[in-house]
Amino acid sequence: MPIKEFKPLPAQPAPVSTTGPIAWLKNNLFSSPFNIVATLLILSGLFLILPGLIDWLFISANWTGTTQDACVDDGACWVFIRAWSQQIFYGSYPSGELWRVNLCLFLLAVVIYLSFILPINLRNKVAIPAFLALPFVCLLFLDGRYLGLEYVNTDYWGGFSLNILLAAASIIIAFPFGFLWALGRRSNLPFAQSVSVICIEFFRGTPVLALFFMGSVMLPLFFPEGVTVDKLLRVWIILILFMSAYMAEVFRSGFQAIPNGQYEAADSIGLGYWQKTFFIIFPQVIKVSMPNILATFIMVFKNTVFLLVIAVPEILQVILGALTNSKWLGGHATEGFLFVALVFWACCYSMSMLSTSIEKKLDTSHKH
Amino acid sequence: MFYQKTIEQIKTDTRPSSAGAKAFYNNPKYRGWIYQSLLLIFLIAFFYSIISNTLSNMAAQGIKSGFGFMTTSAGFDVLMSLIPFETTDSYTKVFIIGILNTILVSIIGVICSTMLGFIFGIAYFSRNWLIKKISIIYVETFRNIPVILQVLFWYTAVLTTLPSTRDSLSIGEAFFLNIRGLYIPRLIDEPKSFVVYIAIVIAIVAIFFLRRWARKRQDLTGEQFPLIWSSLGILLGLPLLALFIAGVPFHFEYPELKGFNFQGGINVIPELMALAIAMSIYTGAFIAEAVRAGIQSVPHGQTEAARSIGLKERKIMSLIIVPQAMRVITPMLNSEYQSLVKNTTIATAIGYPELFTVFAGSALNQVGQAIEMMFMSLAIYFALNMMISFIMNQFNKRVAITTR
Repeated sequence: MPIKEFKPLPAQPAPVSTTGPIAWLKNNLFSSPFNIVATLLILSGLFLILPGLIDWLFISANWTGTTQDACVDDGACWVFIRAWSQQIFYGSYPSGELWRVNLCLFLLAVVIYLSFILPINLRNKVAIPAFLALPFVCLLFLDGRYLGLEYVNTDYWGGFSLNILLAAASIIIAFPFGFLWALGRRSNLPFAQSVSVICIEFFRGTPVLALFFMGSVMLPLFFPEGVTVDKLLRVWIILILFMSAYMAEVFRSGFQAIPNGQYEAADSIGLGYWQKTFFIIFPQVIKVSMPNILATFIMVFKNTVFLLVIAVPEILQVILGALTNSKWLGGHATEGFLFVALVFWACCYSMSMLSTSIEKKLDTSHKH
Repeated sequence: MFYQKTIEQIKTDTRPSSAGAKAFYNNPKYRGWIYQSLLLIFLIAFFYSIISNTLSNMAAQGIKSGFGFMTTSAGFDVLMSLIPFETTDSYTKVFIIGILNTILVSIIGVICSTMLGFIFGIAYFSRNWLIKKISIIYVETFRNIPVILQVLFWYTAVLTTLPSTRDSLSIGEAFFLNIRGLYIPRLIDEPKSFVVYIAIVIAIVAIFFLRRWARKRQDLTGEQFPLIWSSLGILLGLPLLALFIAGVPFHFEYPELKGFNFQGGINVIPELMALAIAMSIYTGAFIAEAVRAGIQSVPHGQTEAARSIGLKERKIMSLIIVPQAMRVITPMLNSEYQSLVKNTTIATAIGYPELFTVFAGSALNQVGQAIEMMFMSLAIYFALNMMISFIMNQFNKRVAITTR
């Protein structure tokens, strides 16, 4: 007798109450009395605020024009940002020389890109010297005197490019210092250890603004009589010291993540202290510390805005100056601040996303 | 014995004996001392040059040294002070006012940011999609915008758009909000008010003993006592009782519009409001992130185990999840509070008279003794941070894992 062929019935679709948009709404917005009330409250709040906000930001905003008189509609006056865009990004750097700023930003991007794509055997040999040379190359280009270009005084440097370059230059130079302090803090030489601890704790415990103030009122007293040190250079020194302390702590936690077996293995093949540190430990520390290094960079990047207190023309200082300009007295503070907030938010948020993705890539543990 | 030799000894033992191997500079111990003495020499030279430069610079610029200025009269007015201040008062008083104002804004900031942080941190785990998204948006927005920008935003873009004193926004003729800040009624004591204060102290002591008793009873019998409700009852009930027994020995002093300005009541200046709002929101975002990380660090098995022994959802949160999450959250709170105190220095940008603005700013401009005044201010910030660290470490000891 032939066996009857088994024919399954086609599967029934899942009930509407568990799939589809209605179920989603029920589960995520209206799952309990409390949630129903909360959802309705939030939605009504959004309906109250959002239309007006969108109208002010986009629909009745003023986009075209060059002067304040172009702002005829009720909405935001984005003309203000447009008119000041060059100062906002480049400060008062001479218009004909802007390519130098762009070149520096481009070089920074190239070096960062290189450090990601180079083959692993070249990475440390090429990327580290390139990074360390970068601030000084940029300095030469921006200053221009020694390259036969037009000399641009540091008073004219400014805008958002200054925020970026200053933050990058500080963290790059802070790398070796931070590493040295972290090594000092871990070493068993008592004097070296206490010096490192004092350095780290002093610069971490002091408000960054107080450090900037010290840079502008106290640091000039420390140099020999007659020597005047450029304001931006003083700021740079302060930022380097401040960053070194934070980087030292980042590296210290990186050191702690390296298993002891790595040190012992390096010892067993007869490497000396510095060989062991640079060839075995350092690459691993950099790898595990990457998310924290990025977080520290975000911090210093945000902190560069504090420089407005000592009148360094960084982005927010430019906006504040523009607000008191006699041709733009219409009260565009909100537009200006929102724009700066957006710029910083975009930069910091993308960096924190990058840091999270690196963290996920490094994290091979199985969490439940 | 061989196995007692350190790695260093093995290394020196097994090395081919060349002339250099036994030289004293290859001995790690001596080498360490050489490095350290080099460091010491460098530091001495460094500080010697700094100090001698500073002294000669100060002599050249005619800057005095020492703390004689502390007793001279300041000669400028302070925008806001918690203690009475005249322009003829000394710099010592300016210093104290600065410290008090710093502490005031720090305490407001710590309380508000903790509340915001816990609300939004827990909201992340809400089953409501909208609440969760709002929590994420709050954290990601305010964490990534420089705090000084937020302070300036609140101060310049929001608070200066408030109405003038004549058209103040008001709630029941008691609270007024205008361009000069927020005016709230002031509570004034009458002679018999001490009864109420004593009642508050008694209530706190009573709650302390009640807690101890309730815990002991639970340890012995397993019976739970409604501690939160009874504590709340004592804390509110006892002072209320005292209030009515003493015949309400308080009255309010309401702010009133006299001429162009309000008189009476407490005036919260817009600088303080802007700073407190921005600080709370900014630090709150970081605390929310810490709370989220803390709760996520508790393995899901804990929740499942708690459910399996039949605890209710609310009890799971308060008895199982939060105590374990606090171990992760507390150290992060410590560093957030410390950075909050350090961040209060940005008050300089809007002119709120905290320590940094008023002492390391205005006073320093007049006196010019940068070194003494900067170090005095820094010492206060270090002291405040150490205090926070001490309190949080005490708290951390209570929440940390106790291995039995």
